[in-house]
Amino acid sequence: MDIQGILEGFATVLRPENILFVVFGGFLGTIVGMLPGLGPATAIAVLIPVTFGMDPTSALILMATIYYGAMYGGSLSSILINTPGDGSAVAATFDGYQMAKAGRAGPAIAITAIGSLIGGFVAVIGFMFLAKPLSNFALQFGPAEYFLLMLFTLSAVVSLSIGNMTKGFISMGIGLVLATVGIDLQTGVHRFTFGNVHLSDGINFLVIIIGIYAVGEILYNYLTIDRPVGKKNKLGRVWITKDDWKRSKWPMFRSSPLGFIVGILPGAGGAIASLMAYSTEKQLSKRPEEFGKGAIEGLAAPETANNSAAVGAFVPLLTMGIPGSGTTAVMLGALVMLGVKPGPLLFESDPNMVWSLIDSLFLGNIFLFLINVLMVGIFVKILDVPAKVLYPIILVLAFIGAYTMNYTILDFYILIIFGVIGLFLKLYDFPIAPMILALIVGTDMEQNFRKSIVAGHGNLDIFVSSPISITLLILTLLSLTYPIFMNRRRKKKTDLNENTSL
Amino acid sequence: MGATRLILPIISILISIFYLISAINLPKAKLGDPNGPLYFPMMVGIFLFIVSVIYLIKELKNHYPKNDEIKLLFKGRVPFLIISTLVLSLIYTLIFERVGFLISTILFMAAVLFIVNGKEKWKVNISVAVLFSLGSWYAFSQLLDVSLP
Repeated sequence: MDIQGILEGFATVLRPENILFVVFGGFLGTIVGMLPGLGPATAIAVLIPVTFGMDPTSALILMATIYYGAMYGGSLSSILINTPGDGSAVAATFDGYQMAKAGRAGPAIAITAIGSLIGGFVAVIGFMFLAKPLSNFALQFGPAEYFLLMLFTLSAVVSLSIGNMTKGFISMGIGLVLATVGIDLQTGVHRFTFGNVHLSDGINFLVIIIGIYAVGEILYNYLTIDRPVGKKNKLGRVWITKDDWKRSKWPMFRSSPLGFIVGILPGAGGAIASLMAYSTEKQLSKRPEEFGKGAIEGLAAPETANNSAAVGAFVPLLTMGIPGSGTTAVMLGALVMLGVKPGPLLFESDPNMVWSLIDSLFLGNIFLFLINVLMVGIFVKILDVPAKVLYPIILVLAFIGAYTMNYTILDFYILIIFGVIGLFLKLYDFPIAPMILALIVGTDMEQNFRKSIVAGHGNLDIFVSSPISITLLILTLLSLTYPIFMNRRRKKKTDLNENTSL
Repeated sequence: MGATRLILPIISILISIFYLISAINLPKAKLGDPNGPLYFPMMVGIFLFIVSVIYLIKELKNHYPKNDEIKLLFKGRVPFLIISTLVLSLIYTLIFERVGFLISTILFMAAVLFIVNGKEKWKVNISVAVLFSLGSWYAFSQLLDVSLP
């Protein structure tokens, strides 16, 4: 563990301006995360322009706390009005909303904050232990290994879009297609630019991301905009009783490492971590019948797991430069824009940035815990502002964001087009994460592929020439075949049940 | 429904074919392997073509459950909201650089708010549009040094 690095990171984060960014990011993130249907990915995407002109470390700190804040915000709206901001806040509705309905919104919010704090702490410590060894390991990766690692990440993300693998692959394919637009980095050949000068640098992926995650989500939310909002429940005292603590402490401590590990795995992320934590605790519980009816441990477990998964997701992102989910892909996009190239070399070239980021998660956790417990009343007031007013605000932010990328109106058209595409992808149940991920890693994937072909003198053997490559290939195949196998088994089982019931 | 569910897979197949044809017609590279820029797009194009065909077959076999969410798209004022937001966005795009950030944003935001939030709340709409536009103009151009038209 790089103790000195960690301490220097704290010195950076504790500079007054950075503390200010932690506070500011936490607030902004919480507000966007609270909006129904909008999650951390949207929050980061629309708030990227806020980081312009900042020093990259500060920008990164701000972005990370926006991410974290948005997760807190998502939990608040899950508990209070039963509308999760994104997948990782869904599990919070199971017992959280039930608790709020029973007049225990205060304890529900308190345990969410406590769980997130514990989950975040455990995961940050996990990160400190794992990051260095993992980045050293990643130094052994050549282009072939990187190509295969990206392939594995993409296939894992697709295979986790359960029951929807075909659509996931199409989504991924479109992402790769978009990634090939622009000048070819190795030969200078213009590809798929159709004579448009603005396209020669490629389509700015952040504009696509803002289009899909902000404009697309707003258009999609129009479908339900006139639906009456769930009655907001009374808050009460935001703290927990001794009994609450007794019931939730072990679920929280168990869910922290679980979430962290799931977060590291490509493709999994907060949604799966929180659902896994929920079902694990339900199985372990002495009173499983209370789950779904307002059991506090049924809220504590997933809320702990999704926060530790959020930190876990930073492990592959920072050590290898590989995002494991849609949200971390957006983070990576933002990093690249700031001129930071995550990967094993980042730990050598700019350790202070890495550790400041991780330490800011530490600090952000404490801060978000405090505001969630002390100032939740103010946030709850924001839930009173109708979505009908907030969506136009987000829309304008999206346009400002797109404009500030390249200062060209062309990006507005791209923004609008991808807003419409985003709407239809959601309507037709196409998973969006594979496309965003493919879009962001696509260029690197191609470069690594071509470098390996050159290194292997045109021979494809290079992809099976090291134990790491072979392992990655096997993992890719497993991730692709496992869901098909599971589907078959499930089908067999239901067929069997139908036969026996006849 | 019936045939409409085949539209998306067919679009997807057409995209892959169009992409493949454009890839084949890419100019040859003058540096290194002349076909260097071609390999990856070809792989991607063929891959997209295959999964699109699988998607088409799945739709033909009625593999996916009926999607009722689409109906919401045509319900009540939803189509009006979506189309007018898109049209207003296009108008905003066209006037943005001509009239400048502040005026175009106030107009765009007020228009969207009137449509989404309703005429009755005109006081809220106008004050949000003016205050937010002024605030964001100040924040971006003065504090963050982003040059806005």
